[in-house]
Amino acid sequence: MRKILFLTSLMLSVCFAQAQQTQSSNTDSLLNSLTSTNEAEPVIAAFKSTRLILTPTTETNKKKNLNFMVVHRFGDVAGAAGGGKTLYGFDNSSDIYIGFEYGLTDNLDINFGRSKYEQLLELGFKYSLLHQTSNNSMPVALTLLANAGLKPYQVTTNVFDDYTNRLSYFYQAIFSRKFSSRLSLEVAPSFLRDNLPFPYINGNEKNIFALSAAGRFKVTKHMGIVLDYAHPFSSFRRNNTSTPFYDPLGVGIEIETGGHVFTMNFTNAEAISPINYLSSTTSNWAKGQFRFGFNIARVFDLDHKHKGTYK
Amino acid sequence: MKHIAFILLAWLSYQAGQDTYVCKNAKISIFSKAPLEDIDAASNKGTSVFNAATNEIAFSVPMRSLQFQKSLMQEHFNENYMESDKYPNASFKGQIQEKFDYSKNGIYVVNVKGVLDVHGVKQNRTIPGKITINNGVVSITAGFDVQCKDHKIEIPKLVFEKIAETIHVQVAATYTALNT
Repeated sequence: MRKILFLTSLMLSVCFAQAQQTQSSNTDSLLNSLTSTNEAEPVIAAFKSTRLILTPTTETNKKKNLNFMVVHRFGDVAGAAGGGKTLYGFDNSSDIYIGFEYGLTDNLDINFGRSKYEQLLELGFKYSLLHQTSNNSMPVALTLLANAGLKPYQVTTNVFDDYTNRLSYFYQAIFSRKFSSRLSLEVAPSFLRDNLPFPYINGNEKNIFALSAAGRFKVTKHMGIVLDYAHPFSSFRRNNTSTPFYDPLGVGIEIETGGHVFTMNFTNAEAISPINYLSSTTSNWAKGQFRFGFNIARVFDLDHKHKGTYK
Repeated sequence: MKHIAFILLAWLSYQAGQDTYVCKNAKISIFSKAPLEDIDAASNKGTSVFNAATNEIAFSVPMRSLQFQKSLMQEHFNENYMESDKYPNASFKGQIQEKFDYSKNGIYVVNVKGVLDVHGVKQNRTIPGKITINNGVVSITAGFDVQCKDHKIEIPKLVFEKIAETIHVQVAATYTALNT
């Protein structure tokens, strides 16, 4: 009888200890089971801005956010047009772009911009179609861009007689992937249609396919190195010896300061808009025909119906 | 003999089940008064386990579930400050220091001693809270401050947004008994 009592009390205490133990680990495992993070979260902030140096990114503006951009390209740093007499290009501006992008929804932007180069006006839409997800069920993001360009002013030639000759169209599909919090890359096949070939040279093409590749490597949380390249597939450009064409290539650093994103860069492309630089880049890095430039982007949240979430 | 043990074990684990409460929609909100604009976000995707038998409480919230009014602020919060892809959750797990009989209705003021894990940095904290029992419905509220520097949340000098160094966190959870 004593033996039984002893055994009972032993078992009781063992059971109790076990129960205690399971309870303790239960709390952990229960919480883990409740907070399973296998859900496909969209990957955010592949890029800090809607534009790198040359190429637009897959980022769009959030609903009711306005992105204001000022982009500037100075003159040639070196070469015939550069050097000390132009303060390494700072005396000149090869292109100035002022642009607005507005988020109609979280995924759809309407954008408007004006370039000094060819006095080009642009109106377009940017739509974020696919979002990269954290569990790689969608490995890349895809954003589509469609812009129409208009050159409204008189030019030296009379080739704009037919008004439709002033129009250009630019379509781009941008694929991006954020490989890590530091590294994001994108490739963007694009199609450019100039109703009048630009520059207006005999034999130039109205239609140009191009492929852009760009990337951002973050050095710190707020600063990164940007590389940007575009290649137009154009036999006219490849074979033209009187006016040689070169592929636009830009390198720079990107700094984010809260609502602003600055990019400071060097690029051989004189123009800022893809409609211009894909068709007309005749500056050559090797000849010192590259320029300093900067992009400034500032996002304004125009949704004034904010009410506190804190209760 | 063995049967008795089994029955006892079953009874004990049944008891344990009775004393375990879970919440899948705990409300976590953060607030910080900053010179330029207040930081203000909330999530109702917090999870919590309350074990009345062992006096344990655990909370967890996915950082990405915190909704800000300003979407850019939300992006910066996740991308620049909390590094949410590296540290997806913030959590707290602790032990209630007081002993109460939670079978009776009432409001119990408790202090929970445990570990707060924010931005991958664990801090030992004692957080005051309130446990309300109302006819078997268990709810818990708590409020506490998180110092950015305690959790290695870097605030860079070159930032136009003025970021506050202290974030006030509020937690509210209503539990259901876990059926085992």
